[in-house]
Amino acid sequence: MALIQISQITKTYGIGDLRVDALAGVSFSVDAGDYCAIMGASGSGKSTLMNIIGCLDRPSMGHYRLDDVAVDQLPDDQLAHIRNRKIGFVFQQFHLLPQLTALENVMLPMVYAGVSPQERHQRAEAALVRVGLAQRLHNRPRQLSGGQQQRVAIARAIVNNPVLLLADEPTGALDSQTTQEILAIFGSLNASGMTVVMVTHEVEVAHNTRRVIWFRDGKIMHSALTPEELSSVVMNTDQ
Amino acid sequence: MNLTENLQMAIKTLSANRLRSLLTMLGIIIGNASVISMVALGQGAQRFTQERLESFGPNQLTIFARGTGEFGASEDAAEITLADVDAIEQQATAVQEIAPQIASAQQFTYGTRSRQNQVLGTTPGMLYVRSLQVEHGRFLNPTDTEQNAQVIVLGSAIARELFRDQSPLGQPLQVGDFSFQVVGVMAPKGSLFGVNYDEAAYVPITTMAYQISGRRSPNGIPIDYLEISARDADSIRAAAFQISNILTRRHGQQDFAIFANKSFQDLVAQITGGLSLVLAAIAGISLLVGGIGVMNIMLVSVTERTHEIGLRKAIGATQRAILTQFLIEAIILSVAGGVIGIGVGSGGAFLIGLFSPVKPGISINAVMLATGVSGTIGLVFGVVPARQAAKLDPIVALRS
Repeated sequence: MALIQISQITKTYGIGDLRVDALAGVSFSVDAGDYCAIMGASGSGKSTLMNIIGCLDRPSMGHYRLDDVAVDQLPDDQLAHIRNRKIGFVFQQFHLLPQLTALENVMLPMVYAGVSPQERHQRAEAALVRVGLAQRLHNRPRQLSGGQQQRVAIARAIVNNPVLLLADEPTGALDSQTTQEILAIFGSLNASGMTVVMVTHEVEVAHNTRRVIWFRDGKIMHSALTPEELSSVVMNTDQ
Repeated sequence: MNLTENLQMAIKTLSANRLRSLLTMLGIIIGNASVISMVALGQGAQRFTQERLESFGPNQLTIFARGTGEFGASEDAAEITLADVDAIEQQATAVQEIAPQIASAQQFTYGTRSRQNQVLGTTPGMLYVRSLQVEHGRFLNPTDTEQNAQVIVLGSAIARELFRDQSPLGQPLQVGDFSFQVVGVMAPKGSLFGVNYDEAAYVPITTMAYQISGRRSPNGIPIDYLEISARDADSIRAAAFQISNILTRRHGQQDFAIFANKSFQDLVAQITGGLSLVLAAIAGISLLVGGIGVMNIMLVSVTERTHEIGLRKAIGATQRAILTQFLIEAIILSVAGGVIGIGVGSGGAFLIGLFSPVKPGISINAVMLATGVSGTIGLVFGVVPARQAAKLDPIVALRS
C-alpha cells in the first residue's frame, strides 16, 4: 500500500477568466520508506503540491489518501490533527520560536498532541540526540548556527513519529558543508524507515534521494527519475 | 494543551518582550490605579464627613421659628418662646435633651485683654445635644438656670486667648455690662459649617434672657432656636412629630421649621457617594482606553507573529488552540496590569491618607471589581486579535 496516493488532483486559483490552474490533474504515489525530491521551476506548481501533501491546503478536485486516510476534504481541525500526528515539517527558514529553547521548540508538537509533560521532555531530548544536538538542549535559536537550527527543526518534525517527513527547501539557507550534514540526517532517517519528501531546486541535493518527481506547468513531466536521469533532464530544461 | 500550560506559554511569550508587555499594561495599570484610588478617597471622604457630622450630635433636631434666620427677625416673625420649650420638655417623650439658644454678640474683657465674641444663653442639655466634653470645671447646671446665675463656660480657644496660661476657673470675666464667673472650660471640638465650637461661650438661658439680651415679646421670652436630641436614631421621626404637634397646638399654626441633622447626613452621604461614583466612572474611562491599548498591541503582535502562528498551525495547532493562546495573553496582560494598578492605587491612596485627615478606605469589593473588570477587558479586547490569529491561513502565514 502506497503511503501517499494522489489521483487527478487539480488546484485552481481565481475565478472566471482569471482562473489559473496551479495543478492540472496530477497523479502519483509514494511508497512508505521512499525518499523523493520534487523539482521544477518556480511557478511549476511544486509548492502548491507540497501544501496539499502537507495537508495545509485542499485540492480543488481529485483525491488524496495519506496513510490510507482520505484527507482531501477533511475540515480544518481534522487536518490539523493529521499534520500533528502523521506529518513532520522542515522549512527553509527553520521557523523556530525565538522565545523557546531548543528542547521547548521540539516539545511543541507534543503539546498539541496532548502528550504528558514528562514524556514530552524525554522524547524531545531523544529526538535532539538523534540529530546530534545533545549539547544544545537549552540554547535558544539565536544562540545556534543555521545548521544547528535546522537540526532542531528536524528534531521537532520527527518527535511525534510521523509517517511522512516533508521538507521544503530544507538546505536553501545553508552553506554546502552544512547542507551535507543535514542531508546526512535525512539519509539516516530514511534508512531507518521514514518516508521523506523534499522540495528542492538544487540538483546536488536531489542526487541524495532515490527518486525525483519533475514538475512543469502544473503537471508532472517525470514521476520517477533516477538521479542519473535527472542530469539529462536538467540540461534540457531552462532552469 | 491545558490551562496551566497555556498560562506558562503566555508568560514565556510576554516576558520575552518585557518592555512592550509593560507598556501595554500601562494603560490598564493607570486605569485601575485611578479607579482604586478614586473609590478609596471617595469612601474616605464620605466616612470622614459622616464621622464629623456624627460627632456634632447624631440624633439632633433643630427647630426654627419661620421668619428668623441669619437676616434677623422681621417685625411679624413667628417666635418660639421659653414657654414653648417648657411644653416640649414636659410633653415630647421622644426627646432626650433640650437646648434652647439665645445668642448675642458681646465685648469680653479680662484684665487688659478684650475681644468681641458671641455669648450663647442655653441650658445644661446643650452638653448632650452637641456631644460636648468639659475639660476643666463644670458645665451649666439646673441651679444656674433657676438662679439666673452669672456663670459662664468657655470654649477652649476663647479661654486660651483671654486667660493664656492662667487657669480661667473661678476668674471674673466681663461680658458686656455684666461680670461673670468662669466655671468651666470645654474640650476642643473643632468647627462645623464655619462655626467654631471652640470659640463658644455659654451662660444660663435665664441670665441671657433677663440680663443680657432683655428681649421680650407679647408671646413671652423668644429664643433664637432650639436644638434637641432624640432618645435614639429611631426616635428622630417621633420627636419631630411630637414637637411639631405641640408647637402647632400652642401657636395655632405651623409657623416653624424642624430640621434633622440626620437628614443632612443622608444628603451629604448621597452627595459624596454620587461624587465618588462620578470619579470612579471617569477613572473607568481610562480603564477602557487601557483595554483598547491592549487590543492595539495584540493586533500588532498577531501581525508580527504570523510566522509563529503559521508554524504552530503547521505542526498541529487547531484554530481553537491559537484563539485560546492569544486570548490568554490578552487576559494575562490585563489582569497583571490590573493587579499592579490596584497595588499602585492602594499605595497612592495610603500615601494621601498619611498627609490628610481623610482616611481612604480600600474596599475588597472595589479590588475584586477592578480585577474582574480588567480580566473582562482583556477577554473582550483580546477577542478580535485572537480571532484574527486563529483564522490565519498557515500557508500565507509561513510564506510571509
